[in-house]
Amino acid sequence: MSREEGADDGGFAQFEQFLEAWSRRDFLKRAGGAAAYMAFLGGAVEFLDACAGTSTTTTTTPKKGGHVVEGNFSDIRTLNSMLSSDTASNQVIGLMFDGLLNYRKNGDLIPALAADLPKTSSDGLTYTFKLRSNLKFSDGQPITSDDVKFTYQLAYDPQYAAVSSPRRGDLSKYIASIDTPDPQTVVIKTTQVFAPFLANHALYGILPKHVLGSMTAAQINTADFNTAPSVTSGAFKFVKWDKGQQVTMARNDNYWAGAPYLDQWIYKVLPDSVAVTNQLKTGEIDIGPVDPGQFDALKTTSTVAMSEFPVPTFTFYAYQLDPSKSAGPLFQDKAVRQALLYALNRDQIVSAVYFGHGTVANSVEPPTSWAYKDKPTTLIKFDKAKAESLLDGAGWAKGADGIRAKNGLKLKFTMITNAGNKQRESMLQIMQQSWHDIGVEATPSLIQFPQLVSQIVSIRTFDVFLVGFNWMQDPDVSPLYHSRNTAAGGFNGALFKNDQADTLLDQALTTLDKTKRKQLYFQFQDLMSDLEPSPVILFNTGIYGVNTRVQGTDFGPFNQFQNRPWNHATWVTDGK
Amino acid sequence: MLAKYVARRFLASLVVVLGVTLITLVLMDRTRGTYVPGIDLNPSLRPEDIARLRADLGLDRPFYLWYITWIWGVLHGDFGRSMIDGSTVMSHILDRLPNTLELTATAIVIGLVVAVPLGVVGALRRGSRVDHTMTVVSVAGFAVPQFWMGLILILVFSVTLEQHGLPWLPSSGAFSAVNGGDVLDRIQHLILPATVLSFFYTSTWSRFIRSSMLEVLSQDYIRTARAKGMSERRVVYLHGLRNALIPLITLIGLELPGLVSGGLVVEVVFGWPGIGKLAFERALQYDYTTVMGVTFFATLLVVAGNLIADVLYGILDPRIRLA
Repeated sequence: MSREEGADDGGFAQFEQFLEAWSRRDFLKRAGGAAAYMAFLGGAVEFLDACAGTSTTTTTTPKKGGHVVEGNFSDIRTLNSMLSSDTASNQVIGLMFDGLLNYRKNGDLIPALAADLPKTSSDGLTYTFKLRSNLKFSDGQPITSDDVKFTYQLAYDPQYAAVSSPRRGDLSKYIASIDTPDPQTVVIKTTQVFAPFLANHALYGILPKHVLGSMTAAQINTADFNTAPSVTSGAFKFVKWDKGQQVTMARNDNYWAGAPYLDQWIYKVLPDSVAVTNQLKTGEIDIGPVDPGQFDALKTTSTVAMSEFPVPTFTFYAYQLDPSKSAGPLFQDKAVRQALLYALNRDQIVSAVYFGHGTVANSVEPPTSWAYKDKPTTLIKFDKAKAESLLDGAGWAKGADGIRAKNGLKLKFTMITNAGNKQRESMLQIMQQSWHDIGVEATPSLIQFPQLVSQIVSIRTFDVFLVGFNWMQDPDVSPLYHSRNTAAGGFNGALFKNDQADTLLDQALTTLDKTKRKQLYFQFQDLMSDLEPSPVILFNTGIYGVNTRVQGTDFGPFNQFQNRPWNHATWVTDGK
Repeated sequence: MLAKYVARRFLASLVVVLGVTLITLVLMDRTRGTYVPGIDLNPSLRPEDIARLRADLGLDRPFYLWYITWIWGVLHGDFGRSMIDGSTVMSHILDRLPNTLELTATAIVIGLVVAVPLGVVGALRRGSRVDHTMTVVSVAGFAVPQFWMGLILILVFSVTLEQHGLPWLPSSGAFSAVNGGDVLDRIQHLILPATVLSFFYTSTWSRFIRSSMLEVLSQDYIRTARAKGMSERRVVYLHGLRNALIPLITLIGLELPGLVSGGLVVEVVFGWPGIGKLAFERALQYDYTTVMGVTFFATLLVVAGNLIADVLYGILDPRIRLA
């Protein structure tokens, strides 16, 4: 069936649902979905505002055929959407499996396998999804609500408790039940009102029940499907996995948004970021993430178009706040914590370490978030004089050796980060120098990544640690700042406990009202900018190199490695 | 008598294998801390889940209990499953081994083919300019780090050649991403990594053959053969080289484990999907089972290689009596 035919058939049903969308209360939410309908009706790629990332869409007719080679330097572990936890695996899975919803590049939710964003009950506990009609897996079998329920059961249903899903913690906590009143309808009931539920949990690739349904939990863990998915629900289907080198995928003619233009999509594993740059230059790969340090090297290559956009990835450092630990007493006073941040020239860090590819953080929320407050009440910029006066005022006087001390306690501590990450190592050196200039002795120390993780989540004998983190689409930042995550295993390694922060975070989680949440997060950001328990140094920008022969890609903050709704619309100008 | 010798060596080899694998496990276990393999910095993982995963992998027990469970499995031919991705260790090894063998066997063959003539020329033209040049190149060959040489070759033969519109060589992988896999394609991908790897073999072996030849050519029986009127060519090649090659067999036998592990650096630099790269990546991720499986395999090859070399040596040289 031709693309146009398919669009018209579905078009009428979609038009009806489009009318329904107007009568719903939350029109703003649906406006994004409506725009998507218009685009799908036209059968064209979505037209989004160009502020975040450049799009390679042109108005010429897409050519059918050819291949795209996408490179990355992390190896893949599994091809099962409910078992994967690493970015590389999720990237490949995203090409082969679609979820109920997907993201636009700015983070807005759009329907994928679902025909529309779900209806939410007034108490905020029930989400009702209607699947598109005529959904098919790559083998021609229909995708129904049973498949959706089965996919989620692997992570929350006690019957599948033995399945090693990293999603089990969240899904078993938040899903009360999933009902399938008819093959097109999925009703998910949550245990409590949880605002990030859709953004975090409605995008998992839907697995085929007719392939995995008869297996026991233990069998699913070791199923051949995890390394060779015979049936897929996304734009591409699986062909071959050459372990350690590449995954080859082919066009899925049964894809709901229309068969992709490309014949093949290949994901290639490369040794490191330099290899990505080299192979973008030689054309061995068409698409690949570019390291900030390699940006200039690629900028001059005429066959590669660069796409740069802000991402919710950031680097932060945390002060030890437990008074019983050796460095604890140093950082109890807010003045000290603020002073140290005033002494850091973060603009210099962005330009020296990231070659300008980053933004100094004004807040703990990423600039890509709808809840971001650009100017919190306490805006800390580089001000060495202010840093010194704050420390003087707090009673930390410079001693004969130039190091500040108070009541016999020197302002001296060790900073740890993981060895092997050049950027973090450089940052520690800059921090050491900046703080030396104001009479603080900070010593960098490099440890292996697993040890750093252990320090942050369990051992916690550090003085200061520096690490990178990644937020998801939802502005909830509880994992780092809520006191319940100070328990062993949690990421609030600094042991930051503040009742007001807890209350704001909890309230923002338990309401679905976006305006109200925004207000709460604004208050939270004001609070954090004052307390500064774990200052964020910068937010990164994501950079992608795309060969000029590849059209139709549209990278953005939330369309980076995974969750890319335009995979099927990508085409190559030479048709090869 | 040979049988007794082999039996004794076999038992000794078992001890070596057990010892090496145990030490490997201890090293990994002592440096792991509380880290659980396979888990990324994922804030949505609850402490209970992490604890359950740790227990599933057997990491909450002391290392010797884990070791015993593992040895028991190995005795039944079960090398277990990777802690990172759940695939069987055997499948990982079988997937990657052919690629590694392709690379290292090619490098060894190239090494031999280049080293023998070089060594002979060096011995025959001792002290000449050719000899001196060869010495410098050889020393450079095993002094230059493989990763540096690999990166330079990639820069020259891959990136620079392509930028100037000349035919260029691929910089990673064992075959092309699209429509690859045929012999010509594989050879293209093999050229750069095999060159880097063989450089080391060529350098060391050519030196060895040179000194071995010099030693043999100064023997009495060579003088006798010349005195009897034998042509110089027969003296050098039939008597000289053949005897000079015997110690080389030991060297090659000792390279047997190199067939599996010798290409590690080259594999990592060139993204060659081999066993060395697998072991390297998995060691960093604390994937006990995979690392132990590869270590076991490699150690087995080391002791087997040693044993074969010794036995072969004893057979070829009647002066050696296997005690």
